[in-house]
Amino acid sequence: MSEIETYRAQARAWLESVAPKYSRAARGKLNLSVEEDLALGRQYMAEKYDAGYAGINWKTEIGGQGLSNMHKIAFDAEEMQFGMPNVYFGISLGMPIPILIHYGQDRAWVKERVIKALRGEEIWCQLFSEPSGGSDLAALRTKAEPDGNGWRMTGQKVWTSWAQYCDYGVIVVRTDPTVEKHKGLTYFWVDMKAEGVEVRPIKLAGGDSHVNEVFFDAVRLEDSQRMGEVGGGFGVALHTLMIERYIATDSAGFGPHLDLFVDTTKELTINGKPAIKDGRIRSAIARNHAMRAGLDSITKRAFAMMQAGMQPGPEGSLQKLVAVRSRQKLSEMALDLQGNQAFDFDPHAYVKEDWGTSWLNAPTGRIAGGSDEVLLNTIAEKVLGLPQDHRPDKGVPFNAIPA
Amino acid sequence: MSILYDEGQQAIATESRRVLDARASKDRLLKLLEQVGEHDAPFWDTAVEQGWTALAVPEEHGGLGLGLVELGLVAQASGAATAGAPFLTPGFGVTHALVAAGNADAAAKYLPQIAAGEARGAVAFAEGTDILPAAPATRFADGKLTGSKPAVPGGLKAELALVWASGANGPVLALAELAGAERKAVSSFDNSRLYADLTFAGTPATVLAEGAAATALAREVLARMAVVTAHEQVGGAEALLHIARDYAVTRKAFGQLIGAFQSVKHRIAEMYGLVEIARANCIHAAASAGTDGFLLAAADARLTATEAYDTCARDCVQIHGGIGVTWEQGLHLHMRRARSLAIEQGNLLFWEDLLVETLTGEAA
Repeated sequence: MSEIETYRAQARAWLESVAPKYSRAARGKLNLSVEEDLALGRQYMAEKYDAGYAGINWKTEIGGQGLSNMHKIAFDAEEMQFGMPNVYFGISLGMPIPILIHYGQDRAWVKERVIKALRGEEIWCQLFSEPSGGSDLAALRTKAEPDGNGWRMTGQKVWTSWAQYCDYGVIVVRTDPTVEKHKGLTYFWVDMKAEGVEVRPIKLAGGDSHVNEVFFDAVRLEDSQRMGEVGGGFGVALHTLMIERYIATDSAGFGPHLDLFVDTTKELTINGKPAIKDGRIRSAIARNHAMRAGLDSITKRAFAMMQAGMQPGPEGSLQKLVAVRSRQKLSEMALDLQGNQAFDFDPHAYVKEDWGTSWLNAPTGRIAGGSDEVLLNTIAEKVLGLPQDHRPDKGVPFNAIPA
Repeated sequence: MSILYDEGQQAIATESRRVLDARASKDRLLKLLEQVGEHDAPFWDTAVEQGWTALAVPEEHGGLGLGLVELGLVAQASGAATAGAPFLTPGFGVTHALVAAGNADAAAKYLPQIAAGEARGAVAFAEGTDILPAAPATRFADGKLTGSKPAVPGGLKAELALVWASGANGPVLALAELAGAERKAVSSFDNSRLYADLTFAGTPATVLAEGAAATALAREVLARMAVVTAHEQVGGAEALLHIARDYAVTRKAFGQLIGAFQSVKHRIAEMYGLVEIARANCIHAAASAGTDGFLLAAADARLTATEAYDTCARDCVQIHGGIGVTWEQGLHLHMRRARSLAIEQGNLLFWEDLLVETLTGEAA
C-alpha cells in the first residue's frame, strides 16, 4: 500500500468510528433544526481537529498538519461519503481562512483564528457579491473611506452563505472611486458582530435560507484588518477564487449519482413497459455515464499530475459547467419518469439522494460560483484566446461609469 | 497503466503529428472523394515506414510490442489530418485477435506480414444494421466461409479479413485471405475508406475462436478498435476546434472579430468541453485495456468522441458561414470522416446499449 492509501484507510477507520454520531444516516432520523445540526457540526469539527484530520495540507506553525494536497484530497473523498455535518464550514475553511493565513498581519492572532475555525468554534464568510454587481466582481459599490488611522465602511453585500452564523468575514470594498474599477478595491477582514453590521437571511426558491443580505452602516475597520495593498483588492479576490479549484469537483453536479437514476428506472414503467428497456432512457443513462466518466478522468488525471509535481491543465474548469447542466436535465427526466408520483415532494430531502430537491436547487448551481455564461467566457478567453467581450467601462474611472 | 503519458509516448504523439503535418495534402484527400476504389496511399506508405503497422505486434513476430496508448496517439494525429487509411485500425483488430486467440501457427504466419505492412487487415463483423449480429448469416463449415458482408471498411484492398460467422457450435471468429473472396466497391460519402461488399463462396479461413470465446473476443476486438477510433475522432474534433478558433480571431463582421460575439465564442468553448471530456475518456480507456472496466471505459470513450467529432464538424462549418460549405475549404472532409468513423466500429445506438447492459446487466 502506498503512503496515501494507508492514510486513506486510517482516515476511513476514524470516520467510521464517529459516523454513528455524526453521519447523515445517523442525523437523518433526528429531524434536527439547522441550529441543532450546526451545533452537532461544531462538535464534529472539534473531534476531527483532535484526531488530527483538520488543516491537513496546512503548515504546522499555523495550526495545520503539514501534509500534502493528496492527503487532503484522500481524506475529503472518504469524508464525503458519510455526509458529515460540515457544510457550514466549507466556505470558511475553503477560502477566507487560507486567505487570512496568506495575508493576515498579526500572526499570533491569525493562528488563534485558524485553530478556532478548524475546531468549528468560529465561522468565516466571504463577502463579495453585491446587488448591482452580478457576475461583475469589480463593479462593487460598498465603500470604505479613510477614518483616522483606519476606515469606515458603508454598503451592502448579498448571497453571503452562512453569514447569520458567522463570526468574521473577508470583504472586498471600494476605497477609491476615481480610478478604473479593478484598481480602486481593497480587501479586509471584518468582525461580523461589530456595530453597524446587520444580516438578513434570504429564502431561496428551494426553501432554505443559508444565504443572506449583509448591510454595513459606518462600520469601523482598523487598518490592521486590511489584507494586501490598498487598491490591490481585486488581485486578492482572484487569489481567493483560485484556491482549491480541484477539490470542489463532483461529476454528478452536486446532485444524485447516476446509480440512483438507474435504480429509479428499474422501478418504473413507461406505458406498461420497463423504463430501463426504453431507448430514450438507455440513451440518457449512456450519455450521462460517458460524460461523467470523462469529468472523473479529468479529475483523476489532474491529481496524478499534481502528485507527479506537474501543473494540471485548464480542463478542470469544465467541471461545474458541464456537470450541473447535466444534473438539471437528468433531474427533470427523473421527475418526468415518475409521472404523478413526482408530485409527492419533500423540500428537506438531500439533494444528492432526491430528484425533486436536486431539480429545484439545480439553478443555484448554474449561477453560484460563476454562471454558465461567465464560465464559457472564461474558457473562451483564457483558454482559447478568443477576444474579450465588449467592455464599455474599460479604462473609465469607476465614478464616471453610468450606474 | 498510468494515465500520464511517458516520454516515449509523448515522442510518438509529437513525431506522428509532425510527419503527418508535413505529408498530408488537402487537395489529394479531396480528389479521393471523387473516385471509388482509391485510398490515401502516401499515408499508408508513411504508416508502414514509421512502423505504425508494427506498433502492437509482439516483438517475436517482428513488431514493437506496444499497445493501445501508442496506437491511440498515432490515431489522434491521423484523425487531425483526416488522413488515415482504412487499414490501420482494423489491422490492429486483426493483430489483437491473432495475439489473443493463441493460434500459434496463424500468429507466426500473419503477424510478421501485418507488422511489415505487407498484409492489410479488414474486420468484417457487421451484417445489415448490426455491427455484431447475434446470429450472423455468414456461415463457417469445413474450414470455409460462405455468405456476404456489406460495406466492410478497407475491404476493397485488404489482404486479410477477420470475419464474424456462424459455425456448427455457435459463433466463429475466422481469418480469411481475401484473395479467395469476391469484392464489390461501395460508392460512399467517404470513398477513401474503401468500403466493399465481400462475398465468400467457400473461401478458406482459419478459426481463431469459437462459441462463447468467439463472442468475447469479437467484443474485445471491437472495443479495442473503438478506442483507437475514439482517439482518431478526438484528433479530428480537436483540429476542428483549432480551425474554428483561428477563424474566429481572423474574420470580422459588424466591425469586430466574430470571436467576440458570445454566440460564436460560447459555441467554440462548448467544442472545447466536448473535446476535453472525450480525450479524458480516451486516455482512461487506453490505460484500462485488459482490466475488468475496459468495456465500459471503451464505451465512454466511443460515445463522447463520436459526439465531439460530429458536433465540432457541424459547428465549425457553421462558424465559417458560406466559406465553410465550399468544396475547396475542405471542412466537409472532417464532416464526412466524423460520420464514417461514427458508424465503422458500431454506431452510437450500439454503444449506448452495450454501455447500459454492462452497467446494469440488463439487455435491451
